[in-house]
Amino acid sequence: MTAMNRDVGAELARIKGAKTIKSFCYTCPWQCPTEVFVRDDRIVYQKGNPLSPNNIGARCAKGMASWYVSRDPDRLKYPMLRTSPKGDAPAFRRASWDEAFDFIAAKLKKIADTWGPEAVALTCHHDPNTVFYRHLLGDLYGSPNAGYAHTSGCEQDRRAACLTLFGHVFPMHDFANARYVMLWGMNMLGANQGLWESRALMDAKAKGCRLVVIDPNFTETAQRADEWVPVRPGTDGALALAMCRVIIDDKLYDEDFVNKYCNGFTGFRDHLHARGYTPEWAAPICGIDAPRIVRLAREFATTKPAISAIFKGSGYYTNGTDAGRACYILDALTGQVDKPGNIHLKDWAPLAAPVAIPDSAKRKPGKPPLHVAMGYPLAPDLPNSKLPEAVIDGKPYPVKGLFVHATNPVMSDPNRDRVMEMFRRLELGVALELYMSETALECDVVLPETSFHEQAEVRNGMWLGPQVILCQPVVSPVGEAKPAYAIAQGIAERMGWGQHFPYRRWEDWAELMLKDIPISLDELKETGFWAGPVKYDRVPAGLSTPSGKIEIFSQAYADAGFDGYPVYGERSVLPDKDYPLQLTHSKFSMHCNIVTQNNPYLMEVCGENWVEINRLDALKYGIQDGANVVVESPKDKIVIKAKVVEGLVPGCVSVRHGHGFGHWAMGSVAKGRGAHSNNLMDTHTSPITGANCYNECKVRVRPA
Amino acid sequence: MQYGFYFDSARCVKCHACEVACKTWNEIDLGPRWREVVKIESGTFPNVKAMNVSMACMHCGDAPCRNACPVSAITKRVEDGIVVVDQNKCIGCGFCVWACPFNAPQLTTVSSKMEKCTFCQSPGKERPLHLPRACEEICPTGAIITGPLAELAKVNREKAARRLAGADLKGMPNVVLDGAQRFAPPAE
Repeated sequence: MTAMNRDVGAELARIKGAKTIKSFCYTCPWQCPTEVFVRDDRIVYQKGNPLSPNNIGARCAKGMASWYVSRDPDRLKYPMLRTSPKGDAPAFRRASWDEAFDFIAAKLKKIADTWGPEAVALTCHHDPNTVFYRHLLGDLYGSPNAGYAHTSGCEQDRRAACLTLFGHVFPMHDFANARYVMLWGMNMLGANQGLWESRALMDAKAKGCRLVVIDPNFTETAQRADEWVPVRPGTDGALALAMCRVIIDDKLYDEDFVNKYCNGFTGFRDHLHARGYTPEWAAPICGIDAPRIVRLAREFATTKPAISAIFKGSGYYTNGTDAGRACYILDALTGQVDKPGNIHLKDWAPLAAPVAIPDSAKRKPGKPPLHVAMGYPLAPDLPNSKLPEAVIDGKPYPVKGLFVHATNPVMSDPNRDRVMEMFRRLELGVALELYMSETALECDVVLPETSFHEQAEVRNGMWLGPQVILCQPVVSPVGEAKPAYAIAQGIAERMGWGQHFPYRRWEDWAELMLKDIPISLDELKETGFWAGPVKYDRVPAGLSTPSGKIEIFSQAYADAGFDGYPVYGERSVLPDKDYPLQLTHSKFSMHCNIVTQNNPYLMEVCGENWVEINRLDALKYGIQDGANVVVESPKDKIVIKAKVVEGLVPGCVSVRHGHGFGHWAMGSVAKGRGAHSNNLMDTHTSPITGANCYNECKVRVRPA
Repeated sequence: MQYGFYFDSARCVKCHACEVACKTWNEIDLGPRWREVVKIESGTFPNVKAMNVSMACMHCGDAPCRNACPVSAITKRVEDGIVVVDQNKCIGCGFCVWACPFNAPQLTTVSSKMEKCTFCQSPGKERPLHLPRACEEICPTGAIITGPLAELAKVNREKAARRLAGADLKGMPNVVLDGAQRFAPPAE
């Protein structure tokens, strides 16, 4: 099979007159290994790398169309320096790389001297090459705030729940061996295109696995499910806690497992009783009747192997963190953790740093990182929504410089007005960008970065086993664009740290990263990936939690002033007479966040976003299917196309991909298509993790 | 031998990857949609159903587009049953668009000639028939399988056997579908 698959790429490449290069796709963070067909310095086709266990030879629409980004005429070609005052209409001039590096280095020195290095922060989208800035701004410059990404706008609550319970930041799902899969607000088959997971889930279903989707929205995943449970928005926690109660009261839990490997089982049982968390209690909250809750709990507990998992949906409310914990406690109670067919506490490949900075050269941060200083010690990443407080109000301490890599916070964070104001107050805003994005427009320096087709990246693969994947430069850079590692090197040289970034070719640093991996770089270039064995059953050996066990009870939560057991509290913003509908959000699979809307081949398939509204609400408010409507919150309003649907809980509306459309910059294709919904909501943050609460928003709708 | 598509609507998640793969492999301009995924919803809240169908040319046994073409630009290949259009003969009249029950023929101002799924047999880009089509190769959930109809039958023997009987009927599409979706024979 392997040999045959290998030949397919070669056979197809011959037809196209192309050579194939093994690489991976970084259109989205799932980063599927690929075979790229290149002819005359142009990408003419792509396949999934058929040898890789996490690609199954497939691609997604956005990956297949991603060749366009390597030729997009709207790409940034030169470094740009701002010429207009902040807040005025943005104007930039072309600059040389030398000028740009000098400008950044001078500002960095000034900020360090005046405010301290902690006044410079970094935010990114988990791009593997961000590691170079972490070393530059963290190790050498001495900022404790160089390790941040965008997680609070993503699956912050999932990470927090998984870290708390399992000591693992990002479990995978062993769908292939599962017989019962319960997904909470997780549109696995729609929004999150981990392609091998989608295939595994479908294959499992074909063999009789039951798929239950708990979501207010009849998502692509719910559409393929055996059962859709249309829970009211922001009430997942109540439903999960009630199900825990059923499993415990009916003695359907795995007694041996909870006694040996879980911390706080008996206390949790008492907690559920003391709080009165029963199906009858949850039913009116969730809009799911009590017998159904009992049935779902019993089904889940008695059909093994099983998975209960969340991703983002349940976390977009201020009560989302405990909702996530409760959903994963279902796995713990039934002993369904890290065995075949369970959530999978995967091993990571031991990638080393791409640079070797001696301890003597490192500058120790003088202040705690922002998330701790802000009062979110349990946050796995920076609470993005709180960053404006640091920049604008100087709380908990001033932030004056911000590096933005492969993310666009002006569009992706809630409360756009406040985020834009934050950028205008910075002394140094640096955007490392492919396009003159909405965020780039608010920065002082905009540096053209190469796309993943034009650069190298090495990272851990998103697969069950440990895996290293390699992205290779397959075509020439656009204009004067440079890869992240060359940009970090340029800044480092201006700061006097050039000796720590000594690489001449990307292979130099890639070899350093691979020093503990049993494969050479030359071999990796041929295969595109290295994969270690898939292991199971890590729980008995002890987890990376404080107790070494699965923490149903978390002392860390108790110490931080929260309940050690998950509790259910009402979300913060409830619809009322004036704003009778809850705003919720969902995503597309054919677009990735804010990065794909300038691709005409994706815009042909999906060229605008829309708001979904239940037919009964549409009747009530006079909304016609396909017509433009005004969606208005107490803060702002947008005009957007309406889709009248049956598959949505009445009383809420769902803006699809509201953060990624309605561009007012970025490029000629994206500009003005669809509507941007992130200024409808005010700043609401999970009190435990600082996650952005995009769904804490009430709206009213009327025909436009 | 007749080649065709197997489509499993239980697996399709409307990710549109097949459309983009089709377009990329066959180097199709923006505008014409050789393949398109269509969603069909039914029911009322909370008992809702949705089904997605990835639609392209069905390479019909007795192709209505071929029968309608006034200049004989459309032919059905003897060796594999693939329905192809000779763009040098096509006058862009659109009869085929009317005749096709699936809206497979694409007539846009891009070329002003009819174009459609060639089963990846476009000149210069012919995929050998023993390999997957671009739409099949890319599908993340494995919803599309292509090949000789006789082999597709093995994918789901019982259901396919029923479909195969229909596949030889005049005007029936050479598509094997799972039990969830059936096309009615065209009205006489």
